Amino acid sequence: MSQTTDLSWHQNVEENGRQPPLSLQDVHVSYRTRKGSVQAVRGVTLDLHAGESLALIGESGSGKTTLGLGIVRLLVDTAEVSPGKIIYRRDGREVDVLSLADGPMREFRWRDCAMVFQSALNAFNPVLKIWDQVWDTAKAHRWNNREEVRERFLDLLRFVQLDPSRVIDAYAHELSGGMRQRTLLAISLLLDPQILILDEPTTALDILTQRTIIDLLRKLKEDLHFTMLFISHDLAIAAELADRVATMYAGQVVELGPVEDIFYRPRHPYSLGLIRAVPTVTGGFEELSSIPGSPPDLINLPTGCKFHPRCPYASERCSSEEPKLERVGDNHFAACWHTDAVQDDIERNGLRGKKRS
Amino acid sequence: MTPILELRNVTRYFGSGRDRVTAVDSISLDIEPGEIVCLVGESGCGKSTTGRMIVGLLPPSDGQILYQGQDIAAMDKADYQQYRRAVQIIHQDPYASLNPTQTVRQMIMTPLLRHQSQRSAQNGSGGGRRSRRRDAERRAAELLEIVDLTPVAEFLDKYPHQLSGGQRQRVSVARALTVEPKFIVADEAVSMVDVSIRVSLLNMLSRLKEEFDVTFLFITHDLALAKYFAWEGRITVMYLGRIVEEGPTPRLITDSRHPYTQALLGAVPEADPELAKKKTHIELRSAEIPSLLNLPAGCTFHPRCPYIAEGECDTMVPPLERISEGGSVACPVRMSEPTQLI
Repeated sequence: MSQTTDLSWHQNVEENGRQPPLSLQDVHVSYRTRKGSVQAVRGVTLDLHAGESLALIGESGSGKTTLGLGIVRLLVDTAEVSPGKIIYRRDGREVDVLSLADGPMREFRWRDCAMVFQSALNAFNPVLKIWDQVWDTAKAHRWNNREEVRERFLDLLRFVQLDPSRVIDAYAHELSGGMRQRTLLAISLLLDPQILILDEPTTALDILTQRTIIDLLRKLKEDLHFTMLFISHDLAIAAELADRVATMYAGQVVELGPVEDIFYRPRHPYSLGLIRAVPTVTGGFEELSSIPGSPPDLINLPTGCKFHPRCPYASERCSSEEPKLERVGDNHFAACWHTDAVQDDIERNGLRGKKRS
Repeated sequence: MTPILELRNVTRYFGSGRDRVTAVDSISLDIEPGEIVCLVGESGCGKSTTGRMIVGLLPPSDGQILYQGQDIAAMDKADYQQYRRAVQIIHQDPYASLNPTQTVRQMIMTPLLRHQSQRSAQNGSGGGRRSRRRDAERRAAELLEIVDLTPVAEFLDKYPHQLSGGQRQRVSVARALTVEPKFIVADEAVSMVDVSIRVSLLNMLSRLKEEFDVTFLFITHDLALAKYFAWEGRITVMYLGRIVEEGPTPRLITDSRHPYTQALLGAVPEADPELAKKKTHIELRSAEIPSLLNLPAGCTFHPRCPYIAEGECDTMVPPLERISEGGSVACPVRMSEPTQLI
C-alpha cells in the first residue's frame, strides 16, 4: 500500500500509542435554514479509544448521524461545524480534522476513517460493477497495483462471508440487501482504516440478515480489535456490540458509560426511559412505558435541560439551568440534576416494568 | 362463534408465465371477534399482501375470504360496503398515507360526513346540513381525544408536515375510527416511529380493542413488538408465502417448534447485553433467502434448515398440524421437540 502523504500533521506532544485515535472536543454543528439555525450537535466531547466499540444511541433528531458525518466532513453545505475540534491521532502524531485541506481530507477518509452508510444501495454507483468501484477507490488513494488490490478485496469478501465470484462483477442492484451491506463493509476495510464509523448498519435489513451482519461486526471487534463507532436508534445494536454507550438527546451526550452501566444502572432519565420503552423477545412479558411528549424543536430549544419538558423528575432548576456531564461512577457520566432520583426509581420499581407470566 | 374473519386456502399470484410470483400460497386463518393476531415474517413472506387482501384492496387469485361468515367475493353491494367500512387498515408510512394538502380536520371530517349521510339515507332520518356538520365536528374532537391528540383544538387545523411521525400515525388511527370499524389491519403501523413513542401507540391500540371491541391483525417484522402487543393473543409466522407456525403468543415465544421460528427468535438482537450474550442462535445452512421466482420444492425452508431430513423435507410440502401445547406447526420433523433459547 502507498505511504501516508503529507497530511498537515503535528508531532504529538507525548509520543504515546495509548492516546485515543479520535477525540471530539466541544463539537458544535448547526444547519442554516430559512426559519433559523438548527442546532443539531451542541458541544459534544468524547474520546474514542483504540480497539473499543462505542455506540451513539438516540432518537431521530438527536444529532447522532450529524456527528458521524461531521467527523468525516460529509455534511451538506448549509451545515457549519464550529466551534469545536476533532482530533485524530496516528503513529504518535495528531491533526485537527476540521483544519485539513481538501486533498488531505480525502486521504483521511477511507484510509484513516471509513464510514459505512445506512442505505447500502445509495452508497454504490448503480452503473458501475462492484470491482470497478473498488478499483476507483484504490486508485484515488494512489494504490495502483491492480493485482494487489484485487487480491486484498477478494480476501475481504471472503472475510465478510461472500462468494467473491458472485459479487465482484455484479452491479449493486443485483445483490440482496444483506449482501450489499457486507460488500460495503468489505470496501470500507480496503485501505485498512484505523476507525470505522457505522451509521445504522443493520436498520432496514431482515432479522436473519441482521444477525449475520451483527456476528460479522462482532468478529471485527473481538478478533481484529477494530475501533468502531456505531450510530443507531436501536438499543439492541448497542447491547449486542458496544463496549461503551453514549446516549444523545437534542444534540448532546447526556449519558456516557460502559454498556452494562447504561443498560443496568442508567442515571439519566432519558436512558432509563428508552430502556423501559423497548421490549425484549426472550423472557416473560414486561409492561413497557413510553416517554411522554416528542423530541424538541432544534431551532427553538427549551431552556435549561433540554429533556425537562418530557422528564418525570423535572424540577424548577431543570427548566433554568442546563446540567453538564458529571461523574456518577467509574467511567460513567450523566448530565442530570436528578441522577439520585433515577437511581431511587430503579431501586423501588425495578429497571423494567412489571412482569407477567 | 363465527370467526369475524376467515381465510380459506387463500393464494395470491403476481405476474404471469415464467415471471409469476406466488406471494401468498394457500393460507388458512380464522380470527375470532376481539382477538389480537400478529402476522410475523421477513420481507417477501406475504404478510402485507395478506393484509391487503383482508381489507379488500387486492382480490385473492384463489381461495375465499369470509367476513362474518360471508364470502366477500359473493357479497351484494350493501353488504360489501358494510364490510369495507368495518375492516380498516393503518399503513406503515405516516408520511405517505396522509394527504399533504388537507388539514387534520378535513381528513377526519370527510369520512365522518360521508358516513353520516350514508347512514341517514339508510334510516331515512336526516337533520339539516348544519346540524350534521356540528355532529361531525363533535365526533372529530372525540376521536382525536381517543387517539391522545390533545388539546384537540391545537391539532385540528394542522397539516401533516406540522406533525411528528407518531402524531401522524395517531391521525391515521383517528381517520380509521371515523367509520366505526370492527376489524383493523395494522401493517407495520409503528415501525417508522421513534422507539420512545412506539409503546404509547401500541398501548393506545390495545385500549381501542378494550373500549371499542376492535379485532386486530397486527403485521410486523419485529418479534419483540409482536410479543408485547399480542401477549394475550396469537402469533402467526409466515415464510415465503406460507404459514409455518402459529399459536398462543407465550407458547410461540418460549417453546417454538418450527426451525424457522426458532431461527428468527434466536436472531433478534436483544436490548439487554446479558441476554444478548446468553441467547443461542440457530446456525442456518444458508444465509440467503430463496427467490420467489424459483422456490425450492417441498418445505421452502429446507435449503437453509439445519434439521433437514433428506428425501422428506425436499419433496413434500409439510402440512400445518396441531400440537397439544397450542397452535400448529408445519414441520413433521421437529414439531414434537421442545426448544429453549436461553
